[in-house]
Amino acid sequence: MAFTQFNTQKIPPQWKKYTTYLNYFVVVIVLIILLFMTFFQVRPEEVGVITRFGRYVRKEEPGLHAKVPILERKYKVAVERQQKEEFGFRTTATGIQSEYTKTGTADESLMLTGDLNLADVEWVVQYRIDDPYLFLFKVREPVATMRDISEACMRQIVGDRTVNEVLTVGRAEISVSAQEEIQKICTEYSLGIKIEQVVLQDVNPPDPVKDAFNAVNQAQQEKETLINQARSEYNKVIPRARGQAEETIQMAEGYATERVNNALGEATRFNALYREYVKAPEVTKRRIYLETMGTVLPKLGHKIITDEAGNNILPLLQMQLKDK
Amino acid sequence: MKYRKSLIQLLILLVLIIVILDSVFKVKENEQVVITQFGKPVGEARTSPGLKLKVPFIQKTNFFEKRFMEWDGDPNQVPTKDKKFIFVDTYARWQITDPLQFFKRLTDERGALSRIADILDGETRDHIANHNLEEVVRSSNRVPTPSGSLGEEIGDTLSTIQKGRLEIEKLILRSGNEKTSDLGIVILDVRLKRLNYVEEVQTQVYERMKSERYRIADKFRSEGAGEASRINGEKERDLKTIQSEAYRRAEEIRGQADARATSIYAGAYDQSASSRNLYSFMKSMETFEKTFDTTTTIILSTRSELYRYLMGPE
Repeated sequence: MAFTQFNTQKIPPQWKKYTTYLNYFVVVIVLIILLFMTFFQVRPEEVGVITRFGRYVRKEEPGLHAKVPILERKYKVAVERQQKEEFGFRTTATGIQSEYTKTGTADESLMLTGDLNLADVEWVVQYRIDDPYLFLFKVREPVATMRDISEACMRQIVGDRTVNEVLTVGRAEISVSAQEEIQKICTEYSLGIKIEQVVLQDVNPPDPVKDAFNAVNQAQQEKETLINQARSEYNKVIPRARGQAEETIQMAEGYATERVNNALGEATRFNALYREYVKAPEVTKRRIYLETMGTVLPKLGHKIITDEAGNNILPLLQMQLKDK
Repeated sequence: MKYRKSLIQLLILLVLIIVILDSVFKVKENEQVVITQFGKPVGEARTSPGLKLKVPFIQKTNFFEKRFMEWDGDPNQVPTKDKKFIFVDTYARWQITDPLQFFKRLTDERGALSRIADILDGETRDHIANHNLEEVVRSSNRVPTPSGSLGEEIGDTLSTIQKGRLEIEKLILRSGNEKTSDLGIVILDVRLKRLNYVEEVQTQVYERMKSERYRIADKFRSEGAGEASRINGEKERDLKTIQSEAYRRAEEIRGQADARATSIYAGAYDQSASSRNLYSFMKSMETFEKTFDTTTTIILSTRSELYRYLMGPE
């Protein structure tokens, strides 16, 4: 009231009729502001935390809620949203084909293994805020703290393993141990964070030694190739040789059968002949001789028949044969 | 007159509001407050949240953080006991547990951080210099999982450690807390965040890793060649074995058949003198038929069996 009285003195007469409206206007504005300060919405993934005069009083589930304006303050914490922190790389663009960069993160991922070698380990920690009160009021910079914990834990775990384990067989086991360890320390610090999963991304030997590691893989491949080639050569030759051996043996069997059958046949034939021959040896022998001659002689080119007197004919004949 | 009276009323109201506002203060969940009177702390620190009272104007509020706070050490180059130079990057979380003491000794957070840095950097350096590198890197004597053929080459074993990383971290924490006990703060945890070789050592390590790998690569290659030769030898051996066995078997079969045939022939031809006679006669006849052809010239006497009757019947 004092306020308006003071003001009206300064206001020009022609504007005076508006001042009463101005009063209403101010009141309405103040009311609207108070209304906005009273009601607030908590989204499905969030929880509202209310403090009165700075003291924590209650938690609000998703929906429309009211608080006392000015005296009460609200904080919203996304407790249902899964969040992630990347180590050793950063996602620069998400999409179907996400893009990553490693610039400036090499220090995060390079670590000593238990056998004092170096490995480049990239990983992602997926977490959720599970206690908004602790998250807000127990640790300053809870996310940065969680990052520090993750780095320390990952190094602690990798520091207990050989470089081979880290690069090959140990991957799954490392993520499980890392998750347990990080969770343990988060609880110890009362961060109010729940570690859902630790996912190992690329685990590589550091760049300067990559070639050497690849050379090992290559050599392993070469070894396999050489052995496979030798095996294939073996497989090309030996089965064929077995077949050929079988052939040789079969041919010998064939020969044997033939030989024996021939012998049996010939022997039988001879026996038959012999049985008849014995009955009239002289005449049979002569008959066979003459028959044979009968078939042989017509085939011959020259047939010369002489008697004792014609012995000197031989030299002549020789000359004649040479001329031919 | 009426005008002046309302002005005075207004002034009194304003003063009242200011006095009330200055005598009431709010402590948030994450805060704690030390009240000072002309710069001198009075009374207990206000550590619980809510609305609090103080004497207006004379007393001042000094707010301090109640939550755990971060401290991140600079990477320090530290030699280990076995004279390996490494960078050590530590982090710690600490808390103001006695704001009054804290206010007296350190005034504010900046002062605290610099003290913590002095203390923890020193402690870290001392403890790391007292231990071998393995002790700092490893935290347990766990038996590593064998990693197959590759591991056999390099050796999947880890050396045995006495204390380990966690123990060293605990030592640093304990002595750090001893030295900060009168500062009104408590260090919750100190951890070695990053460890790394200094550049020259790193190059050496890379060289070692490389030579180790190349050695394995050479071994693999030579193993491959060796195995291939072995298979090749096996192939030759098997080939010769198969071929010679087949030859032997074939000859045996043939020999047996020949023997059998011979015995059959002998059985037939060697029955008696006349059978032997008949056989040689028949064989000769057969030979004639086989061997004579158109180029053969035969000279026969008229006295031969064949042409006996050429000169006339006897």
